[in-house]
Amino acid sequence: MTPRTRTTVAEPFLEVIDPGLQTTVQDFPGRRGRQALGFFPSGPVDHLAFRAANLLVGNGSDAAGLEIPLGRFQAAIVRPGTIAVTGPEVPLTRNGRPLPMWESVPVEEGDVIASGVLSGPGYRTYLAVAGGIAVPEAYGSRATQLVAGIGGLDGRALERADVLDVHVTDGGARPRRRMPSSLRPTYRRHWEIEVVRGPHADPDYLTAEDVEYLFSATWRCDLNSDRVAVRLNQHRFAWARASGDVAGGHPSNMLDTSYPLGGVLAYGDVLTILGPDSNSSGGFAVVATVAHAALWKVGQFRPGMDTVTFREIDLAQAAALDEHLGRVLDSRHLATV
Amino acid sequence: MRAIVATTELDDRRPGVTYRTAGDRAVLVEYGRPHPVDLALNFFVHATARHLQDHPVRGVLEAAPGLRSLLVYFEPSVIGRDTVIEAMDEIHREVPEPTSIVLPSRRVRLPIAFDDSTSREAVHRYRVSDRPDAPNVVDGNNIDYVVRCNDLPAREALYERILASEWWNAFSGFYPGLPSLLPLDPRSELSAPKYNPARNWTPEGAVAIGGPSLVIHPIESSGSYQLLGRTLPISYLSPRRPRAYRADPVLLHPADRITFYMIDETELVELRRQAFEGRYDYEIEPGRYTVADHFAVAEDPAVAAEAERRRERRRRAHDMVKIP
Repeated sequence: MTPRTRTTVAEPFLEVIDPGLQTTVQDFPGRRGRQALGFFPSGPVDHLAFRAANLLVGNGSDAAGLEIPLGRFQAAIVRPGTIAVTGPEVPLTRNGRPLPMWESVPVEEGDVIASGVLSGPGYRTYLAVAGGIAVPEAYGSRATQLVAGIGGLDGRALERADVLDVHVTDGGARPRRRMPSSLRPTYRRHWEIEVVRGPHADPDYLTAEDVEYLFSATWRCDLNSDRVAVRLNQHRFAWARASGDVAGGHPSNMLDTSYPLGGVLAYGDVLTILGPDSNSSGGFAVVATVAHAALWKVGQFRPGMDTVTFREIDLAQAAALDEHLGRVLDSRHLATV
Repeated sequence: MRAIVATTELDDRRPGVTYRTAGDRAVLVEYGRPHPVDLALNFFVHATARHLQDHPVRGVLEAAPGLRSLLVYFEPSVIGRDTVIEAMDEIHREVPEPTSIVLPSRRVRLPIAFDDSTSREAVHRYRVSDRPDAPNVVDGNNIDYVVRCNDLPAREALYERILASEWWNAFSGFYPGLPSLLPLDPRSELSAPKYNPARNWTPEGAVAIGGPSLVIHPIESSGSYQLLGRTLPISYLSPRRPRAYRADPVLLHPADRITFYMIDETELVELRRQAFEGRYDYEIEPGRYTVADHFAVAEDPAVAAEAERRRERRRRAHDMVKIP
């Protein structure tokens, strides 16, 4: 539905004053088509808020934007343009005066855009710029992969005094748009996340009781969670087999296999949700996989604070979730400001 | 919903197939049984991936090999999961049975310095910061532990095993460009338990073993395989890269064959310098691999008997060593 970003030339757009915790350049769906060479996709952990931000500034779906954990970020604008910030509520200001989120807003040369630490539920905010952040593509994507140090700005998180370029488009003013609050996601401290059972669940890996526990327990999101993985609290499953045999001692061990994005990995006795910067493969059982349309929620878990339950769904329900996401991200539903 | 969606028995020389859900956008296709580790299954994985690449199925986005599996991503608005499975079933019937497979496969020759000081530094850091009593650390290295796990008389025997065989890249993964290598000569099979807990720092270029696989680390990273030595850089991910990597940031592809030759650390340091300066010509020979060649060796009665004897010694040795 969305037009591809028309690119002409890259011009400096903002200079970072406070990069925050670990702000990175991302694009969606990230670096796909290279998992056979060991590349996991990267890209925004919350693809819903990320795509909404691009939609608000009129970007094509391939445009790069910023992922800002904890909301903290500050930059000086060096060229007029349009931005939008989405995600959980943070104190967002231009030159000290409040600025709305989930809405495209014009910015001028000399403006200072600042967003403060988020105090309520949710974890990652997203900033899109009309035209898209201009960094070189690395292996088919502009997404930053921090572990391998590729993509984004020199393969790393932003630092103070970094200057980010923007693709300058045809120069026509973009209409100001707002996402109606009825379409915006709700952020919580307790999350219910839709998953599909398997690939390595019952009957050959987990017992029926293990699966029942998996879907009924409330899991705690470990402080040690990031773009690579969300780690959940330890739990000893009974397991339907005595050991991983040739692949290792623990029954969660298996001969190495490629992992699906959003896989719920049994790393021994610790469940981990595979994030976009995760290892592309390994030798542990993936007992469930987060539905594509529910992946955005993983990006909003607050490390060390939130809890999650897994709700099992089937493919028809996953398709219905996809359809719902499509409606949310349909530009026709945006209000004109 | 069941984790196992379907199973298919192919004809007697092809492996059985298990289809498992991997979310709403992927199917994990598993071949045969997990043990023993069977290269024939991996050949079939690559032949299937290759066939899928040459005869694309509309809506199938990509396929990533594992040791005995293929993760197939699809776009659900274009193709349903059941149709993906039907298409894969059809492909499996078209792929030749393992002994008749011929695959594009390059031969790459790499130098290795065993027990180098950088690997020892990584072992040292692990012992200081993570686990002082790690049973896999003997005299500041992991090599002696691996020697014991495989019931070998001395380090030289371990080195010899590694140098004697061509190593098959069963799949690339974990980190971008990290190959998991299995020996084409079954007499060179080795195995070792993994670190517990994992090591926080592994140097780029490290050669290590965990389970049945030998790996080469493309980047500085964590790791849990036992360190054996170090080779040349095998990936160059930054945009400005030397000639050998101009076309591709990843040196070793799935289904490539790697051989190692031993050099000392001084020489390795010099060769690594040449590689970083773009002056080193990697020894890469394009070609194909006829899987029948593997079976001709592996099924030779004398070779098979020797491999089995070594396997048995290894099994006994594993019962004796302390698992980390």
